[in-house]
Amino acid sequence: MSTRTFSTSHVVALVERATRVVPVLWPLESAVAANPLWDLRSHSFTSAVAHARRALGIVGLPPAEVLADAFRAGRLTVADLEAALDDLDQPDGATEAEPVHRGAPAPPPSMLVTVLERHDQLTGGRMAAEVDREVAKYCAAYLGGLLGTSGVVGTGFLDQWRAAVVDDPAARRLGLHGVLEAVAGGPETVIATVLARLVLDEAGAVEELTGQSARLLGWAAHAKWRSRWAAPDHPGPALHLVDYLAVRLLYDLAALERLGHRAGPGACCDHLRPAPGSSPEVPPAALVGGPAGDRLARLDATAAAAVWLAAYEAHYRDDLLAVLERPSSQPSAPPSPGALRAQVVCCIDIRSEGLRRHLEASGHYETFGFAGFFGVPARVWPFDGGSALDLCPVLLHPTVELTEEAGEEAAGAARHAGLRQLAVVERAVETTREGPVASYLLAESAGVGLGPLAVLRTAAPATFARLRRWVLARLAPPADVHPVLSGPGAPSDDEQALFVETALRTMGLTDRFAPVVVLCGHGSTTENNPYGSALDCGACGAARGGTSARLAAAMSNRAEVRALLAARGIVVPDETLFVAAEHDTATDTVTVFPPAELTPTQADRLAVVERDLAAAGAELAVERAATLPGAVRRPRRGAARHLATRSADWAQVQPEWGLARCAALVVGPRQLTVGIDLERRTFLHSYDPGTDPDGAALEAILTGPMVVAQWISAAYYHSVVDPDVLGAGDKVSHNVVAGVGVYQGAGGDLRLGLPRQSVFVGDEPFHEPMRLLVVVVAPRERVDTVVARNPVVAELVDGEWVHLAARDDGRFWRRRPGGGWRQWHDARTDAHQLGRPVRLGRPYEVAPTGGHGEEERHG
Amino acid sequence: MDERWGLTPMVKVEVVVSGEDAQVVTDLFSTAGAVGFTAVANVSGVGHGGAHQGRLAFNDRNALALLMVVLPPAGVDRLLDGLRSLLAERPGVLFVSDTYVSRPEYFR
Repeated sequence: MSTRTFSTSHVVALVERATRVVPVLWPLESAVAANPLWDLRSHSFTSAVAHARRALGIVGLPPAEVLADAFRAGRLTVADLEAALDDLDQPDGATEAEPVHRGAPAPPPSMLVTVLERHDQLTGGRMAAEVDREVAKYCAAYLGGLLGTSGVVGTGFLDQWRAAVVDDPAARRLGLHGVLEAVAGGPETVIATVLARLVLDEAGAVEELTGQSARLLGWAAHAKWRSRWAAPDHPGPALHLVDYLAVRLLYDLAALERLGHRAGPGACCDHLRPAPGSSPEVPPAALVGGPAGDRLARLDATAAAAVWLAAYEAHYRDDLLAVLERPSSQPSAPPSPGALRAQVVCCIDIRSEGLRRHLEASGHYETFGFAGFFGVPARVWPFDGGSALDLCPVLLHPTVELTEEAGEEAAGAARHAGLRQLAVVERAVETTREGPVASYLLAESAGVGLGPLAVLRTAAPATFARLRRWVLARLAPPADVHPVLSGPGAPSDDEQALFVETALRTMGLTDRFAPVVVLCGHGSTTENNPYGSALDCGACGAARGGTSARLAAAMSNRAEVRALLAARGIVVPDETLFVAAEHDTATDTVTVFPPAELTPTQADRLAVVERDLAAAGAELAVERAATLPGAVRRPRRGAARHLATRSADWAQVQPEWGLARCAALVVGPRQLTVGIDLERRTFLHSYDPGTDPDGAALEAILTGPMVVAQWISAAYYHSVVDPDVLGAGDKVSHNVVAGVGVYQGAGGDLRLGLPRQSVFVGDEPFHEPMRLLVVVVAPRERVDTVVARNPVVAELVDGEWVHLAARDDGRFWRRRPGGGWRQWHDARTDAHQLGRPVRLGRPYEVAPTGGHGEEERHG
Repeated sequence: MDERWGLTPMVKVEVVVSGEDAQVVTDLFSTAGAVGFTAVANVSGVGHGGAHQGRLAFNDRNALALLMVVLPPAGVDRLLDGLRSLLAERPGVLFVSDTYVSRPEYFR
């Protein structure tokens, strides 16, 4: 083994390479659902999963029992498996050499472990676990602001930890003090020194750093967010990757030296057999039987699991494309604007599909799908105070910065005064609560009043929520707040016109404007839910979408912007009014934010639209309540009331399903999908191939919204298939840590991904783990052009992170990884299958429960 | 000091990488002792990996970025050490050239 001393600059690059397998964990205030393997996407999905299996111990493929259950239920069939096996026999020219596992089973991959872990394996020690406990303890203390030792030079984690750890008995026990004296310098220097002391070559150094990151993956994922994704001026302590790894390595070095570890070639660890990595399990081939079963039996576990996954996905794909191909769903002319009460633009989020479907059922609405930030990447300082919100996908940097103001100055001043008083009270309570004696006094004095309130909040959450709103409205009266389109960071008229034009052209709404165009964002109202922001709008950086809708609507109504749009060929009639709205996906209520000044005609039109939105929401509530665990099947009014209660319930761990069961993204005119119940499983992005000859709009969609949809799909996928490593565990025992994440229980690592209750019902997955299916209505040549000139799209498509299909020449086509298209045929030739109602995946509906008579409790 | 122009010789390092790697490259600049750099986001071009589109409407991280830094010759080895390691696994190109500056104190 050749070893070397690394420069500090080299260490930065090594850390980057070593942590590509580490997911990114956004803080809870903006819990972005991201593909945990995103930084491995230059590899195929199969290779990336294999790499992560070795580094992180994930499985990466659906559990055998899920697939076996699906097979028994007809959710995937022998024909699906045979087709997937045929694809395996005739690979579609993947871009990289993929191992095809045949014959004798391949040995399980060895897990990547750190030097200290190997030592533990040899000696039966638990030093690595002890180091984890210490590191987690200091990470939490640092982010909680508890390490702010005065007089310490530097505010980084390494500096603060060095100052604090000298008085720590645990550090003495681990023999850290000698190492602290011997290894000085900044984090890069420390890492370089320890790697040299461990006598590691470059490959060994990368593996050691990867192994260090994988030990407490959640903390590493938070540090990666801070180092790679957070704005440099993001407030709060900054736990950077290099600091985090430096501290870990110092602990490990101390432990190894104390244990008498001899570094270098032939040292104690080199001969050890690493622990086997996780291998996927697959249903027994005998379950399938026949020739397909024989073929599956000849594959090793990894290859067989990949075939099962492909078959599972293909079944959904065939069902979806079959239903889209039926004559009733063939494109027809959209309704004429004169027949419309409004055009409604919703977010592409799968939860919007239900609202759109019920709204369109009245025959008076045309709907569109567009990313819920409506094309305006804005940083907004909320009127009520607090940190600025970046209201755009995390792939974008905000380009405009705005404040909010109240419509009436007096109302705004009254609200601010009330909020200030509330803040004073809150601070006083917090201070008292933290005092050693005062906390007891607080409990004694306030308990008399708070006890009954807690009972009310538990027994009648909706009543409590109304009471709280009433009290808060009196203490800090609500004001009509709107974003200000002027000021130093505000966009110019030209920029505003460009934002509006880009949005309209991308969704294909460039003429035929209705008298009212509603821009409908979405958010979710839940109680006592650390993951609340995960239910908000992903396109708005995991925030509510109402503000983005108001911004876009305000810009679209300005005369200056309309004039610029007209000069660019988009003539919006004078009578057309853009209006913002927000769909609450927990309650299925829709709040409309009308402009301050309306003509009587506009007010009348808007009243009708508001009524219809409420009716559509009520229909959606009935549909959605049937899928929520513990919900009571009731008619329209009861369902809406149940959802409202559920939303306000502080003990409710499943307030809504979020984006669970998301399965596909359809990019095309609504005429392809209108009238079809897509079961709230598809992202819908409007796109008119006829108005996009150069593919610019398609490029924007495939490089932006498609990436966001893939992230969400992958986050849900891995939360189901790898719940222990890439899922957030049981909400019931979550403890929030410094606002950045949650522990399971009292301490340890931060949890990644989505809580168990977001993707499972009991032990059964509610979310069907599949890779995202992307269906694009566009000429294949145009799709190929977009793929070819955008590496990120090529990686996702050719690496089979997504499956891509196109609607072209009146037929569906499947894109082969690496290029080329194969016409899709409905393989379900059997009359029974063709005649059956198409269910898009395995149907799910909760068993009806009796309820408690009292609507407040959900049972 | 170059006698002909009255300028001081320095080394200019230019790197074109994916936008999502720009942060690591600027970290490398800082670690190598650079006190400033120039970044141009959303650049387009054609390389051995094919064409790369410039500005993307809804994605700043997956377009290419051009980063430039000027250093005294003594600091270049350290920077290149890191850049070579990074580019061993990540797509990107690196250019190193001699250059001259009028105010050397800005680059030290």
